[in-house]
Amino acid sequence: MSTSGSPLVGGAHLPDADRTAPATAPPAAGGAGGGTGAESVPSPFASLGAGFDRALTRGLRRVTGSAVAPYQSAIVRIGFGLTWMLFLLREFPHRQELYGPNGPWGFDLAKRLLSSNHAFSVLMWSDSRGWFELVYAVAVVSSATLMLGYRTRTSSLLFMVGVLSLQNRSIFVGDGGDNVIHIMAIYLAFTRCGQVWSLDRRLAARRAARQHDTDAAADAGSDAGSDADSVAASESGTGPGSGVRSVRDGSGVDPVGIALWAVLGAALVAASAAGKLSTGWAVIFWLCWLGQALWWAVRRYAPGEPKTLMEVLGDIVHNGAMLVIVAEVCLIYSTAGWYKIQGSRWEDGTALYYPLHLDDFTPWPALSHALAGNDVMVMLITYGTVIVQVAFPFTLFNRRVKNVLLAGMMVEHASIAIVLGLPFFSLAMIAADAVFLPTGFLRWAGQEIGRAVRPRRTPAAAVIRPRTPDPAETLTPGQASGAAAEPAAGPTPPSTAVT
Amino acid sequence: MDSLEGPPSRVAGLSLPARIAVAVTLGAVAVAAAYHLAMVFLHVAPSNTLSKQHATAVNDYIYPEFEQNWKLFAPDPLQQNIHIQARTEVRKPGGGTETTGWVDLTGMDIAAMRHDPLPSHTQQNELRRAWSFYSDTHDTSEKATAGDRSDLSSTYLLRIIERRFGPTINGGQVVRIQARAATTPVPQPGAAAGSTSTQYRQLPWWAVDTASTGQEKSS
Repeated sequence: MSTSGSPLVGGAHLPDADRTAPATAPPAAGGAGGGTGAESVPSPFASLGAGFDRALTRGLRRVTGSAVAPYQSAIVRIGFGLTWMLFLLREFPHRQELYGPNGPWGFDLAKRLLSSNHAFSVLMWSDSRGWFELVYAVAVVSSATLMLGYRTRTSSLLFMVGVLSLQNRSIFVGDGGDNVIHIMAIYLAFTRCGQVWSLDRRLAARRAARQHDTDAAADAGSDAGSDADSVAASESGTGPGSGVRSVRDGSGVDPVGIALWAVLGAALVAASAAGKLSTGWAVIFWLCWLGQALWWAVRRYAPGEPKTLMEVLGDIVHNGAMLVIVAEVCLIYSTAGWYKIQGSRWEDGTALYYPLHLDDFTPWPALSHALAGNDVMVMLITYGTVIVQVAFPFTLFNRRVKNVLLAGMMVEHASIAIVLGLPFFSLAMIAADAVFLPTGFLRWAGQEIGRAVRPRRTPAAAVIRPRTPDPAETLTPGQASGAAAEPAAGPTPPSTAVT
Repeated sequence: MDSLEGPPSRVAGLSLPARIAVAVTLGAVAVAAAYHLAMVFLHVAPSNTLSKQHATAVNDYIYPEFEQNWKLFAPDPLQQNIHIQARTEVRKPGGGTETTGWVDLTGMDIAAMRHDPLPSHTQQNELRRAWSFYSDTHDTSEKATAGDRSDLSSTYLLRIIERRFGPTINGGQVVRIQARAATTPVPQPGAAAGSTSTQYRQLPWWAVDTASTGQEKSS
């Protein structure tokens, strides 16, 4: 189950280590109970040091060995990309009023507030309508490409810039959902969230397949071994981060990536020259930009140790960010739960009744009032909400209980979306919750969704196949073969696409 | 744990300088993650010994980008409906002035949201949060309590109302606007719907800058 389970699996090592100690204890305790006194009782802590060492070694190997939780990071990426994109599209007709230079929270007011709190917003760089429209468009496009996992690293940075810029520009139109998106957008930028379920993944697989064909044609002998290895690795579904990596993977020139990198570099030069960036943000963006160039160069010219080193460093940062995401979700629920405990309405079991009578949160008054009219149901949901929110972080030590609570929370958020009229808040919370979904479930769901989508594609593919013998199509049967569909790409972690 | 049976650790195959780089990065990431989480914890937890001692450090780190508030409907849910209403004084073409009746702006938002599965932030949050911004930065006798933020909040609220009315009403030009907050407690469960009465908090008249473009406005 090492790769299944929540990202907290790493954190579960300590309890594991503990368990080995008591296991040796009972016989010894029985002896002592017999009162012979001849045998000394082994200390229950005797194996603790060794156990701790083992756990530490395992933990270190895990955080330096691969980017953990590829499916969880992917579902969080997809969830937040989708939520923000849908929100921006929904508010498209209202974008000027919410974030535009001539909205009620005008450019002048935003400027006064931001000059005192120093929040980051590229919208404050110019009060022109064109600039605003450009930023809004980039925000929409980057949320779509993040969701699809296209040039994921760059998309996640642009996504963060879009989220921060729009939200900080008009901080007084947001709610809890915006707050979650804001924080997760920052965290996501540190993750390698495009390892699976991404276009990057598919493109890398396509490149690898093409490479494979070229190699086979050019030289039937020498490279066959390594390529066979990578194919074997991909077919056995070892997934991302598996040891076998083709030396040639992704070593193409990638003109699109270079062009994108040049454009963003020019933008960065312009912003820096105009003095628009604070020192902190300038350092972050320049490091990211240089890092991309270095990553591209390393893959192309130094595929040995330098590339491995960069991969390890990237994985360590990813793993740290995943830990922070997981802990953040726990903090959200803990805070929400523990503050509720202090409230008298949550204590007497009537709290739910009140939001169901707040005009701003009752788009379906008949439904809300019917629910509010059922006293027992109101009390059960009120208590259930507090219990689940307070208990959730502790259930992470038990997979089954955690999964039950997780399902409960997702259902509750889905209900909130409809009953309280908070669809984007709820979607964002569900996306955050999804970081705790078990890998087995995620892979199964991905496979079922893949199957549901596939039948519609097959006829088209059948028509195309005779005309264009694209090497990529050699991959299609493999991808259709179920569980191994997504990780089938094997050789290249997709977030490695140069951008 | 299968991970132990996998290929040997990638780090084991690296040269010493590379392994040092890995170790340094690992340490830096661990410290950064721990520091970040500690700061967020102190920020979201109730005011306590540590967060009081390190208030400056916590605030410097958290604001502006990591600010968060998860007291969702807590400690108690809001138990009253607040409607922002407004009326105007218009100057008629003949030179006379006229005071229009109160318009329930929040009520119009609510009507627009009804049976809409995707309510807009302009309807659900704009007025509601503008009012809480205003009431957080003013006392009940409408005196500013937060310096420039008070002024920002009243200007913001005035502009929202201005935009909703437009420049002319009843054939006259809007010259002044007055807002009030109508607060109606939600009746206790089991109590009759009309058992609570509405309280009004009336704000002073605000002059409308008739030349306003939204860009330049006297504060």
